Amino acid sequence: MSVALSLENVSVPGRLHPLSLSIATGKLVGLAGPNGSGKSTLLAAAAGLLPVAAPGVVRWGGYALEKIPVMERGRRAAWVPQEARFEFGFSVRSVVGQARYAHGDDDAGVEEALACFDLTGIADRPVDRLSGGERHRVLLARAWATGAALQLWDEPLAALDPRHALETLMLAREMTKAGRTLVFSLHDLRVAHCLDEVVVLHDGRLRAAGPPETVLTPELLREVFGVTARVEPGLTLFL
Amino acid sequence: MAALSLSAGDARLSPSQLLDGLLRRDEFAATIVWSIRMPRLMVATLIGAALSASGLVMQAYFRNGLASPGLLGVSAGGAAGAVVAIGCGLAAVSLLTVPLFAVAGALAATGAVILLGRRGASTERLLLAGVALNALLGAVTSYVLSAHTITYERNAQILFWLIGGLEDRTWEHVWMAAPVLPAALLLLPLGRPMDLLSLGADEAQSLGVDVRRLRRRLLVLSTVLTALATAVAGTVGFVGLVVPHILRLLIGPEHRRLVPLSLVTGAAFVVGCDLLGRAAGDLRLGIVTALVGGPFFLWLLRRDGR
Repeated sequence: MSVALSLENVSVPGRLHPLSLSIATGKLVGLAGPNGSGKSTLLAAAAGLLPVAAPGVVRWGGYALEKIPVMERGRRAAWVPQEARFEFGFSVRSVVGQARYAHGDDDAGVEEALACFDLTGIADRPVDRLSGGERHRVLLARAWATGAALQLWDEPLAALDPRHALETLMLAREMTKAGRTLVFSLHDLRVAHCLDEVVVLHDGRLRAAGPPETVLTPELLREVFGVTARVEPGLTLFL
Repeated sequence: MAALSLSAGDARLSPSQLLDGLLRRDEFAATIVWSIRMPRLMVATLIGAALSASGLVMQAYFRNGLASPGLLGVSAGGAAGAVVAIGCGLAAVSLLTVPLFAVAGALAATGAVILLGRRGASTERLLLAGVALNALLGAVTSYVLSAHTITYERNAQILFWLIGGLEDRTWEHVWMAAPVLPAALLLLPLGRPMDLLSLGADEAQSLGVDVRRLRRRLLVLSTVLTALATAVAGTVGFVGLVVPHILRLLIGPEHRRLVPLSLVTGAAFVVGCDLLGRAAGDLRLGIVTALVGGPFFLWLLRRDGR
């Protein structure tokens, strides 16, 4: 099986201890850990937005990141920040259209992305007048529209209402079934059951990685998150 | 507006006289048009385009609609250079001494800024360095103004220069400001990546923009534009703030259109302000742009607050 993303001895001074991790193509991977455990740092380093301390190497599809030209990176991977701030009043459609910058602004798939993230109705509204959740959906639609095989999303679900969160999760599922790879950070461990893999960070260290049912044991949950797990039929939401 | 600018003045020219002057058919009209009003019009056009484009670039760079061309101390550097030249009595040596000192001052400030930018400094640090640089260079200007060796006449000259104006501009000034044109041309293809940068550096980088290279280019072009404008016309305020703002209201935030339009509109704005000032009894350009720009800006703030 081919590897979409691999981190070899990757560390960021003061924030992330050296860790190695390899994620196979087509996987839906959740990145969990308490606040300040290094999730955002890991995603930014994987996206090539943070310098990695020597001798660490980030590879996308086997290629060392530093050997990939910046424009080509824009075609291969997409990154979504945790905070969605917009200073200027670009329209929703034009922000999503920025996804195609590295493709010569061909606008391919932009309308489809707007539809997928329920933005068609507000496509002409300025982004600086949107609510937090809507702004997040704009960023997700932009990442989706890049068509990049590797998707790195920082807390995509936190700002969304239950319906849009579920829809986004289903889109993520479809996307990975179609061969793309998605790594995203999350706090709500109740969605872990629909992931292929979970990576747990604690104090800037890799604590565990693997299928959710083997990683998220009661011992780990108590040790890392300080919570006690209880499995019972509770509130479950469907579309 | 250009024709009006060439016609209006102490010696008012009729359209036919203007045509005679432009075609050098009438000697008196030709002298007025080609030696006095044409250079003034050209300088007004060039600095208008330069300041407005420079402001637009700063706003995209700092992701803030309130950024101005002088933010990083470039205008203050130009002013300090000119003031030192006048204060030392060098203004009498040649017509171009003061502009040359202004360019030197602005370039020194530019150099300091670019050096700071090259160290990979964040925009916040760059901004703070600009604040410090502005204060430092302002102190130099104030010192020269208050030095006991300075004569009343030189003081008047300095104040005259600090307000910014277009009086007695010659073709030498036009040539001096001419590099505005190639700088503007270099800016045109950067409009699209500026869109992405104005919504976040990390986001732009992840979408395929070489942010470090883009930022370096924008910083150099913006400071060069401001330096040239300051050198030939003194410190003229508000153009770089007001013109991009009006344009954003009218045509939206897309830089592919904003860059060329800010060049043209900035030029028209300064030519218009100059005309207004002349009509109001030789009010200096710096005063007119502030008189027009200040109230407009307050109105804009009120509007945004709602």
